[in-house]
Amino acid sequence: MTVNITAASATSSARTVPRGLVPASVVLGGTLISLIGLTWDIQWHSDVGPDTFFTLPHLFLYAGSAISGLASLAVVLMTTANAKRDKAIDPMVGGRAVGVFGRTFSAPVGYLVSGIGAALFLVYGLWDQWWHGLYGFDAVIDSPPHIGLLLSISITMVGAVMVFAVARDDSWGTYGIAAAAGTLLAFSMVTVLGLSALPGGPVNTVNAGSAFFSVMILFMGAYVLNRRGGAFAVGVVVALLQAVFWWFSPWATEVYADATGLPLRDYADGIPGLPNMIPMSLILVAVAVELLRGLPAWVAGLAGGVIITACAPLQRMLTYGSNFPALERYLPTVVAGAVLGALAGMLGRRFGHMLRHLAPAKEDRHA
Amino acid sequence: MRRTLLGLAGTVALLFGLAAPALAFEPVNVVHTEKVQAGPYDLTIGFSTWPVKAMQSLDFTFAPENGIEGKKGTLTLFREGVEADDSPLARHPRKREVWGLDIFALPEQGTWTMKFDVEGPAGAGSGELKSLQVMEQPGPPMGLSWAISTIPLFGLIALIVVAWRRTRATVD
Repeated sequence: MTVNITAASATSSARTVPRGLVPASVVLGGTLISLIGLTWDIQWHSDVGPDTFFTLPHLFLYAGSAISGLASLAVVLMTTANAKRDKAIDPMVGGRAVGVFGRTFSAPVGYLVSGIGAALFLVYGLWDQWWHGLYGFDAVIDSPPHIGLLLSISITMVGAVMVFAVARDDSWGTYGIAAAAGTLLAFSMVTVLGLSALPGGPVNTVNAGSAFFSVMILFMGAYVLNRRGGAFAVGVVVALLQAVFWWFSPWATEVYADATGLPLRDYADGIPGLPNMIPMSLILVAVAVELLRGLPAWVAGLAGGVIITACAPLQRMLTYGSNFPALERYLPTVVAGAVLGALAGMLGRRFGHMLRHLAPAKEDRHA
Repeated sequence: MRRTLLGLAGTVALLFGLAAPALAFEPVNVVHTEKVQAGPYDLTIGFSTWPVKAMQSLDFTFAPENGIEGKKGTLTLFREGVEADDSPLARHPRKREVWGLDIFALPEQGTWTMKFDVEGPAGAGSGELKSLQVMEQPGPPMGLSWAISTIPLFGLIALIVVAWRRTRATVD
């Protein structure tokens, strides 16, 4: 009897926090720690330099994936335990459960994706260690293993968007989608540096790639939220991350250098590296997406792609004092931005619709 | 909850405890040197590995006779005669008494030239280290490395394809 009372009171106190919010927040928190580690690490390499496996920015990168991965694993194990006992599985926690390795595990699809990303991070960590053993501790962000690591973290971030998309009708789901999509967008602006390995002819492949991924993720967020202000909310999250990291990255780098007794490089410009990879024009794109809502997605996507590729050199002129690029390189990049932006708009809209399927069927929903 | 917090605190303490001794950065170990005459300045170019291989990072040191005090300059890199990079001569972060490049890799094999433009008390001078042979990159071909590294991307695309096929109807 005592047990029953305890159980009932535990249930009622647990209800003050919506089901699914805690693990989703831990996964999102982990991805944010990864993003903090990345912006700090990039700044460290540009402004200070010396590297080991265990620098503090690296620990943030490892911890971020570990936190998201362990939270995902915990949810999968709890769901599996419930499935084995034939207890009801609440689809609000990460979406519908799917069988893994036959019926050995029952994994909510969102946490399955975030967990796979974290597991891949471990595998690519080993690949990266081997690479550094062969090539040295180069500070090249776009080496193949680094891109593998960044892609692994991106998969965890996609999982974070999914676990919040399940609760899209609740306010915590709405805010979570904007935060998780914004985090993924900011992070992807580093992953696209890998595109510099592609032959682009006169096109700046990194600028065109930035346009493609930022438009796609912005549209995905807008269409999964499917309400006025959705794109703007994602744009505001990205702008906030950019503003905070603009201050944080050089500050944390200098504090850490002081603490370890290392000098700043001669000629270190202190310009925030990662925040400067995020297009400042994104907020304009978000406004354009809101204004062009009634038109087909490719129209707003095209506008977004043009805005980002056209403004990218202006941002570099503003921050680095660079020269405006030659027109024979600038114009093809803007054209590529237009084409890729239109495609990204259509894809992002479709991805948003796909994510809406994750929410439990209407009659089961809270709202 | 308390146990969880204690566990977390223990993990953080362990991580930082491990990090502190591991932060001892390796000294710059020069295994090969070359001489360059840049006008009135004698420069000794040091390499931490030799021979130099493409993509393999190493420490370069550039030491003028009588030190770097009161001197400044520019390093310009050429591959097969085509300018690849230029930067001001900066002190090496782990060997502050000389200029250098830390954990720096020359990206491609071939014949490289390092051109030094130095200004100092004895005026300005230029000199070149010509015919720096950069050997073929070690390790697997880049195509294979990229194929291995982009598996997560193709996995994500596969997931999208499956999800695409299963979600043809739109939901409110």
